[in-house]
Amino acid sequence: MNDRRRVNGPPGGTRPPVYASLLQSGTGADIRAQRQRQPTDLRKIFLKTGLIPSASGSSYLEFEPSASLAAARSNPKSLIPPSSALKLACTVHGPKPLPRSAPFSPNLVLTTHVKYAPFAARKRKGHVRDSSERDLGVHLETALRGAIIAERWPKSGLDITVTILEAEDDRWWGDVPDSHDASWGMMNVLAGCISAASAAIADAHIDCLDLVSGGVAALVSDDSTDSSSALPKLMLDTDPAEHRSIVSACVVAYMPARDEITELWLKGDSSKVSTADGDERSGHEALIDGAVDAARGAHTVLAEAVRESLQKALGQS
Amino acid sequence: MASASTAATAAPNSLSLPPSQFARLQPHAYLLAHLSPPSSSNQPSIRANGRAPSQFRVTSANAGSLTHTNGSAVVRLGDTTAVCGVRAEILHTDDIASWSVSQSTNANKRRRIGETEKESETADEEDRAHIEDLNLLVPNISLSTGCAPGFIPSAPPSALAQSLSHQILSLLHTTRLVQAEDLRIWYQPPNLGPEEAQQHNDEEQMDLDAGANEEETKPAEIKAFWVLYIDIMLISLAGNPFDAAWASVLAALRDTKLPKAWWDVDNESILCSDDVNESQKLSLRGLPISSSFCVFEADAAAGWRAVVIPDAEEQKAQDSKHGSQKWILADPDGYEEGLVQERVHFVVDKEEGKTVIVKMEKHGGWTVDSEDLRQLVDISAQRMVAGLVVPVACLPALVTLSPRHTGTSSESHIDHEPLHQPMTELG
Repeated sequence: MNDRRRVNGPPGGTRPPVYASLLQSGTGADIRAQRQRQPTDLRKIFLKTGLIPSASGSSYLEFEPSASLAAARSNPKSLIPPSSALKLACTVHGPKPLPRSAPFSPNLVLTTHVKYAPFAARKRKGHVRDSSERDLGVHLETALRGAIIAERWPKSGLDITVTILEAEDDRWWGDVPDSHDASWGMMNVLAGCISAASAAIADAHIDCLDLVSGGVAALVSDDSTDSSSALPKLMLDTDPAEHRSIVSACVVAYMPARDEITELWLKGDSSKVSTADGDERSGHEALIDGAVDAARGAHTVLAEAVRESLQKALGQS
Repeated sequence: MASASTAATAAPNSLSLPPSQFARLQPHAYLLAHLSPPSSSNQPSIRANGRAPSQFRVTSANAGSLTHTNGSAVVRLGDTTAVCGVRAEILHTDDIASWSVSQSTNANKRRRIGETEKESETADEEDRAHIEDLNLLVPNISLSTGCAPGFIPSAPPSALAQSLSHQILSLLHTTRLVQAEDLRIWYQPPNLGPEEAQQHNDEEQMDLDAGANEEETKPAEIKAFWVLYIDIMLISLAGNPFDAAWASVLAALRDTKLPKAWWDVDNESILCSDDVNESQKLSLRGLPISSSFCVFEADAAAGWRAVVIPDAEEQKAQDSKHGSQKWILADPDGYEEGLVQERVHFVVDKEEGKTVIVKMEKHGGWTVDSEDLRQLVDISAQRMVAGLVVPVACLPALVTLSPRHTGTSSESHIDHEPLHQPMTELG
């Protein structure tokens, strides 16, 4: 356990601070983060390419902080942040020759690494990649593999590294995990990773079929009345901290030009949904459509960022 | 060497290579041509990146932008970017294996030393012991973020990352930047009657015994410590990682707020208040600024390949020969770092108006003499005065400089690689 290549903390281990206000039940209910956006409104995305000159392509992505977080930042009262906003940096190194020992490959060999910074989440992350980080890496690789025209670079490799500086929460911090709880925040992180990686690949001038962008939609049962008859509603670009209960969520990687989905990840129970009259879609169809709509929104930001990066490159040469 | 410089200036014309390609093919000649322009062209000596030899890159810092940290900072030093997040966690004294033992020996020591030496000495020693022996500061730097092509992501920390982490750790210890008092969580046991005290657990009883002869009232005891996990992610690496990392650590620590914490007897644990108004900033000792330099030699290979037995005369001859053929470059970027062997590294601080060298490191060669070193100290000190380091700008006032243990503040060591050299001394 003792990692001799790093500076280790006290051998007995440390405990995260426990806030006294959390021990009293029902605190924070009044300051609970609430979604201020319409169900179809997306958060603003900040995306910039070319910040890391030593990499062949790079990008930095940040989600707009939620209303509650922005309020907490401008007028801090509590040390417990109400929610968090995704911040990540992505670098692309390559295409570069494969090492001599590697077997022949007629296509570009894509490797993706996703790593949370130790301070990215509410709970301190370890230095070694855990299973969720490896999982994200595999999902990201699938999403990008469908977009890159890999046969143009035989015998070469492409390294994509995503560093997550701040991740989304899985639920509101005051809630205890319940039965149908999952790592919903990871899905938002994946959507951000896909969009950022896509921008970085474009920044590295690697041929793609289209800019692939990520989008998240979720079925949310937010009613405080707690009537069992109430069906979950479809929301786009959900921040899990702002919702009482997410029933199911879906993340897609989508290429608008070809109307193609390269990656689809659906979690939870999507059997029930409250749709508009005359809408005959089933739950998971509505969910996927919603995620595609969110991805289309992210695509506009992505296209703008890539245009900026291209103009910068043209201005330089 | 004149031949090399003329070749360097002539080459772009005759071969008609664009400068960027020439820089890649002949990096040494390229930089040399920039630094020693032909005397006819009246150009000043300038580096390939457009900076004067002693010019640092523009530094900018942004503190407190990360949500899940107690303090955070992003520092950009030119194209090198470091993100530092400080997370505080609690170390209970129950979890420290040797706590009760070390406490009693410390108490004994205090009694013995207290007569002969000053009280502040022992307090200093205890502060040092708490921070260093209990590992209360845990800095780790991560380079596997894709910051530069050479580092494989998800690989274990490279030799560079390990050495940077330990340099930061030792600098945190020697500068005694963080005060141990800020990290202690005290508990004042209520003044119970003797028969009630009997019912309390043994631990408290022991502490009571240890402190019995000092005061009549129950002494306050340390129940826990804050441990600061200082994690630095180097997002972009374009030379001089240490200066960027250290600046980000400094800025993040200045931004760090620790919640008010107390020992809760009913829960037998430490509780914290989430009220911002009750939280406390760390009070740091001084503002040590690190500056790195590298020495670019006109004929890098000549002196190095030959095996030289250093003696004074030869050294002198070499000095006069090399006099005009070396340039000390401040804040080297990645391109320059690849071309030099000798590096000089300073950490300076201001103490009551005087410049104090906190750390000095020099390795890789012997062209820099004590006169040069003195000049470099001046340059480093000026940098501090000029407020080039933005952490100062983040907060309105400088931290008050508390008197420092002289033994640690003037500590310096000079490393020589790969040949051992007589130490150059600072007058």
